[in-house]
Amino acid sequence: MIDMATLATIVLMAGVTYLTRIGGYLVLRNRVLSARATAVMEAAPGCVLISVIAPSFVSRNPADLAALAITVIAATRLSMLPTVLIGIASAGLLRHVIG
Amino acid sequence: MSISEAILPEAVDGGSGSEFRRGVVSCLPVLLGTIPYALVLGAQATQRGLSVVELPLMTGLNFAGGSEFAAIQLWTSPPHIALIVAITFLVNSRHLLMGAALAPFLRHLPRRKALAALFFLCDESWALGLADARQRAGAGITPAFSPRYYLGAALAMYVTWVAFTTAGALLGPMLGNVEPYGFDMAFPAVFLVLMRGMWKGFRAARPWLVSLVVAALVYLVVPGAWYVAAGAVSGLVAAWLMAGKA
Repeated sequence: MIDMATLATIVLMAGVTYLTRIGGYLVLRNRVLSARATAVMEAAPGCVLISVIAPSFVSRNPADLAALAITVIAATRLSMLPTVLIGIASAGLLRHVIG
Repeated sequence: MSISEAILPEAVDGGSGSEFRRGVVSCLPVLLGTIPYALVLGAQATQRGLSVVELPLMTGLNFAGGSEFAAIQLWTSPPHIALIVAITFLVNSRHLLMGAALAPFLRHLPRRKALAALFFLCDESWALGLADARQRAGAGITPAFSPRYYLGAALAMYVTWVAFTTAGALLGPMLGNVEPYGFDMAFPAVFLVLMRGMWKGFRAARPWLVSLVVAALVYLVVPGAWYVAAGAVSGLVAAWLMAGKA
């Protein structure tokens, strides 16, 4: 059920992934940041989030782009759950209708 | 407060149990989007030759969906260990930034606890935990970071991810493509709402625009998962440069 090469790959994957998780914390834990570094850190979460979902913004599917536009508008005025439901429903419906 | 909460000892120390529950509840909308993807990953993994024991080992130890999708795409028998490990690091390198952003909020935690909590760091638990910490900081609550809220969100995510990737491996070929149903839109929706919570005006958000444009261009031009790192880093460089001018 468990192949040795597979096991080695999985354990090494888990190892490097854990290093990425603790790396930023270990390096920056006890530092006092400059104003400039603070500005960078404050921008960082949004930069990562928007980068992860960037492919949605350049989808070749018009239905997906329309659904994303609806989701962006919903996100600016509604809370989490209604926005998610509107996003899922609009993507599902528009893909069905437009293709 | 319900009667059961009133008699539980944890209700006395400021409702730590309710903090955990608050974390689980806030994660529920995210799980809606996660479940179909976990099923798909499990199904794909078995087609690539991973067993029903090996897959949960991967999703349970590694617990980083993006890198697992990449690994499964690249999977051969036997696997190219170095390639898969390098790609895993690349896809997950965003955790370095995420951990750095979270670090100021973790100062009050003992190192051992922080290192354990960070094992469960993923896009979703990080975003929820950080957004919550910033909100609490804004409201004057100290410590701003609520470990139990974070763990509630993170463990809900962890259990769901491992359980449903395993279910996907078991159900395998019976599942088709889930994309037509629109569940994947849950991720942009969650991330956009979280970003609105971090919104401090157009001026402060300019690095985000740089990230979006660069990530989108790299995604279109360069194959693989480079776009996340490229977008994030260029946004940070932009933030650095803009802070210098101000």
